[in-house]
This record gives sequence, structure tokens and C-alpha cells, in this order.
Amino acid sequence: MSDRDSPTDATADSGRPDGADESQPDAVDGEGSVSRPADERPPYVESTIIMTTVRVIAPFVLTLGLFVMFHGASSAGGGFQGGVIAATTVVMLGFAFGIEPIASRLRNEHLALLVLSGVGTFLVVGLGGYLVGDNFLQVSEYETLFHHGSKYSIELVEVGIGVVVSGVITSLFFLLGTGIDAADAADPDTDSEEDR
Amino acid sequence: MSDTLLPLLVALPLLGAVLAVAAGLASERAAAAVTTLVLAAQTGLAGWLGSQAVLDGPLSVGVGGFVAPYGIELVVDGLSAAVLVLVAVVSLAVLAFATEDAPGGTAFYAQYLLLVTGLSGMAVTGDVFNLYVFLEITGLATYALVASAGTGRSAVSALKYLLFGTVAASLYLLGVGYALMATGTLNMADLATELAAAGYDSPLVLASFGFIVVGLATKTALFPLHTWQPDAYADAPDSVSALIAALVSTVAAYALLRLIYTVYTPAFFEAVPVARDALVAFAAVSIVVGSVLAVTQSEIKRMLAYSSVSQYGLVVVGLAIGTPAAVFGAVVHLLGHAIMKGGLFVAAGAVADLTGARTVDEYAGLADRFPVLGGASAVLMLAMVGVPPAVGFAGKWYIALGAVRAGSWPVAVVIFASTLLTLAYFALLVERMFVAPASESVLAATDGGRDGDDDTDALGPSPPSASRPSRRALALVVGAAVVAIVLGVVVTDLGTALEPTIDTLLSP
Repeated sequence: MSDRDSPTDATADSGRPDGADESQPDAVDGEGSVSRPADERPPYVESTIIMTTVRVIAPFVLTLGLFVMFHGASSAGGGFQGGVIAATTVVMLGFAFGIEPIASRLRNEHLALLVLSGVGTFLVVGLGGYLVGDNFLQVSEYETLFHHGSKYSIELVEVGIGVVVSGVITSLFFLLGTGIDAADAADPDTDSEEDR
Repeated sequence: MSDTLLPLLVALPLLGAVLAVAAGLASERAAAAVTTLVLAAQTGLAGWLGSQAVLDGPLSVGVGGFVAPYGIELVVDGLSAAVLVLVAVVSLAVLAFATEDAPGGTAFYAQYLLLVTGLSGMAVTGDVFNLYVFLEITGLATYALVASAGTGRSAVSALKYLLFGTVAASLYLLGVGYALMATGTLNMADLATELAAAGYDSPLVLASFGFIVVGLATKTALFPLHTWQPDAYADAPDSVSALIAALVSTVAAYALLRLIYTVYTPAFFEAVPVARDALVAFAAVSIVVGSVLAVTQSEIKRMLAYSSVSQYGLVVVGLAIGTPAAVFGAVVHLLGHAIMKGGLFVAAGAVADLTGARTVDEYAGLADRFPVLGGASAVLMLAMVGVPPAVGFAGKWYIALGAVRAGSWPVAVVIFASTLLTLAYFALLVERMFVAPASESVLAATDGGRDGDDDTDALGPSPPSASRPSRRALALVVGAAVVAIVLGVVVTDLGTALEPTIDTLLSP
């Protein structure tokens, strides 16, 4: 039961590669590690065909994702679908050029900001309803501010959803692919306090 | 006027989760501070709106100006007000323990606030599909919190919980789907009239009732659908155990109460008496088996978890019997159980931090060394057994009274038997703590530990480093014990406040 006594240590461990930090002995003897060490992961194989294909179609896929995202309010489409398609771009790039190089460019903070801005957009539109009307998410009242206000405010929510979905899918992909980069690594100041 | 502020009860913790992550990019302490501020604001808001609902009658609003039954309606009546305030207060209180015990990390605070978002949403919503959405938000946040211990065991428990929880939510959704097929509406108040029009004995309505009850009973953890629960409670970090034991199943049981009486109405039970009998039998079995399983446990957190299976059985028996006294008893026991069990889990966590003791035997002699912590825990245990004047007694008394008035003598016998069984496992623990000679881990904690100054800001002291319980944990356990007694004393006032709500619920 020793693993139960120090949950803090174990969490900190799960977020980093094995043995990366000598001051953090693996508190749970491998039991607590949810990431795969680098040498156990399947190797990245460079393929000209895949790289060329991805280079050609990636812009189109991203455009399609945005297209679907921007059609959430008035026609078939929506934030969920669009966000998934947009995130596919990153997944494709990951397979073509290796997950780690891509993940090192799109770091945890970027993805967190992506997700935050998406949820924030929804909340701004929702709470803005109190300013223009007297109810949460009262999109009909945006009509008084600008033409087709209710349509565009719903559209904005859809785009926010799309941004959240693409951010979450990308970070899940990185998390599964690399095991470390996108994980919510604990802040350094917590680690120092729990040395034994 | 204050009606339109209802969505804030859900939007505020959601905004808080976003702010916590944003603040967490700067530092983890900032995330903790944001979480505390947001939960304090949420407590204030819930208290204010809740008091409005109790004093001036139910509040309701159609979100976004879309009128019910087409739009999503949020409703706060006396019952949901009580649950809302409970969620806000308990989450704020447990946070004080979580900041010093918990795995920490920004993600933890975001998940914590998302859990509050989901629970508040379940309490305020007046729409059955919206309830499903909040059920899933609650579930996902809880799975992540259980896994946040970071050990392999907690990951397995969280996965098990995820499988059970997802199946349960899907069953609930299936039931909602059948109800939608029968009536074409999702609004709770509208469903009540439309279901009556569709005929209570129509197969669609019966199937929807069955799926919804089984789905929510799994979330509430009634025997034999409880198997996710002891693992999840035992393997989660101590502060998370306290939070989810106090709130998650409680709100699921509230949802069951809400659906049975607001959506299906007592007239459904009149028309289909077998549904009531089945629910009473189901819950009665849960009471007995939960208690028996609790007696056989040696690990404290598991024992408390199985005790919850039994206590939720009591709650469901109360709401299934359906007399005003029994339903009031169920509500009182629901609230009281949340306070008592939350306090006991905090106590278990504090003891584990201090001494490393996690089993009944290791608790031996605890009260000698830590008289306040041991005393307050004993008060909570006795309150749970149902010793007057604590709230555990009040809840059981009203449920038993309702059962007797309804002529369900076997249920009254089961309640009495469960009280004896509850006494069996808690009395054993109290005897260990107060009478038995001190165990090695307790001795080690008091003699070998260095005399710490109890810096309450320090993150989870690794055992056995501190020789006194942290002030926050102590304050929480003592506070829970005081609240358990006070609630028991003022239970008649609570009854007066909730009477109009319960009368409305039970009116056919």
C-alpha cells in the first residue's frame, strides 16, 4: 500500500519519462507509469510518398475543417465535425513527419491556449447575453447590435467548439504518441517539496 | 428577476475551470487561488438563489430566451436549492483539504471545477437530455479525478468506473429516448403531463422508467450495481474520495428523486405498483448487503465505501415509499450522509497522512494520540449509525416513520437491521480507536515523528512526518461533526422550509 501514501509523488512521475529526474525515484515501481519510454515506441519511418501526399492535401483538409466549422449555424456542419477534421491535419503531419518534431513545435501551452480560447469564446457569447439582453446565451438580442447577430453569435460558438475539439484531439494524439509532451507536467515547485 | 441568473450557477464554475487552467500556466498556486475564489463566489450565488427559491417559490428560466418545453429550462425549487448549496459548500470545504493533500497540478483544479459544473448543472436542470449531458460532465471529471492519484491501481479503478459510468449514462439516455418516443418532449414538467397522456402502462413508458432507474441506480451505486464504487473511493486521492463520496452519488440520487417525482409523478406508481415494489426491494437488498459487506472490510476507505452502498439504499427506499415523511427523510439522509461521509473520508485521509494507518487494526489507540480528530470522527460515526440528535437519526427516523405509515413493515425492519449492522462496523472502529492499545503506526507517528509546526500550506506531509493533524483537516472533520449535530437539531425547521417543495413533488 505504499503507493497510496504519497499520491503527489506518483502523479509527478506519471508525467515525465522514466529516469529523467534522478531526485524522483519511481515511487510505484513501474506500476504508476502510464507513459511509454522512448525506446519502446515504434520507430518513425520516413516515407517520401506519405510526406509528399500529406504536404499536398494538408491545406485542403484544414480548409475543409474550417469550412465545416463555419457552417454550423445555418447549414449542415458544426464545430464538432469541423474541429475533428481540422485536427486531422495535425495527425497527418504527425504520421508523415514524426510525432515528436510536430509535438515540439505545437507545445502544451499552445494547445492549452487553444482549448481555453474556445471555451472562453462560448462563455463570452453566453455571458454577453446578459449585456445585450437579460438572459444567458440570449443570442436573439445580438440582432440589435449587428445584422444577423443571432446567426453570427451562434457561428462564433460553433467556431469556439471547433477550436476546443481540435485542440483536445491534437493534445490527445500527442499524449498517446509521445506519452509526455502534452501531459500536464506538474510545476517544478511542487516537485521540490516532496523529496524524500 | 433573479431567475435569469440561474445559468450562472453552471457558467461560473465552467468559467472558473478556464481561468484555473489559464492561471495554472503561470503557477499552480494561482490555480488554487482562482479555484478557491470561484467556489466561494459559487457558494454565495447558490446560497442567495437557493434562499430566493425557498422563500419566494421556484425559480425557472429558459436558457437563451428559448421558451420551455422547446428550449432548455433551468429550475430551482427547494430541493434543488438544498442540493446546490450542499455541492457549493462541500466542494469549497473539501478544497481546503485538497490544496494540502491532493496530487495538485493545474489539471486537478480544472477537473475539480468541472465536477462542480456538472453537479450544479444536474441540480438545476429541468430537461432530461440536459441532465444526461451534465451526468456525463460529472462522470468524466470524476474519472479523471480518481485517476489523478497517478498509481496503477487508481488508473484501473478509474477505468472500471469509466466503463460502469458510461454504460449507466447510456442506459439513462436509452430511457430518455424511449420517453421521447412516447411523448415527443424532453422537458421534465412537460414530460409529466405527456407521459400521463401516453398512458403509464404503455411499454414505451415502462421501458423508459426501467432504463432510467437502472442507469441512475448504477451512478448512485446500489447493490448489485455498486462494484465500481469501493475501488473508486479507495484508490482515489484522499481529498477526491471525500469529495466524490460526499457529492457524486448524492447528486445522482437527487436526479433519481427528481425523475421519479417530477417526471413520472406519484401517479405512475399508483398505476404501476410493481415498479414501486421492485424499487423498494432493490433498495432494501442494497441496505442489507451494503452493510454486511462493510462489516467484512478491513480497510477504512473500503468500509466507508460499502457503508455508502447501504446508506444510498436507505435514501432510495425513502423516496420509493413516497409518503411525505419518507421522502423528507430521504432528502435529509441524502444531505446528512454527504456531510458525514465527506467528514469521515477527510478524517481517514488525515489519519493516513499522519500515521499511514489505513486499516481498522492500524487505527488502534488513535483517539489517545489525537483526541480531537478521534473524537470528531467518533461523533460522525455515531451520527451515521443514527444516534440522536444527529442528522443520521433524523433521516432514518423519518424514512422509518414513512415506511410504517405506508404499512411497509418489512422495510421498517430492514432499516432497524441496517442500523444494527452500521453499529457493528462503526462500533468496532470506535472500540479500536478508544480502547485498544496503540498500534505501531500510531506510535511511530507520535513518538518518532518530528515536531512539525504544521505549516498548513505544505503539500501533503509524507507519513509519518507530522505529529499533529493539519489544522485544515481537523477543522473540516470537527466542522462536519458540528454540522451533523446541528442539522439533526434543526431538522424540523428544514422540514418547514422543504414542505411546500415536497408537497408539490408528491401531488399527483
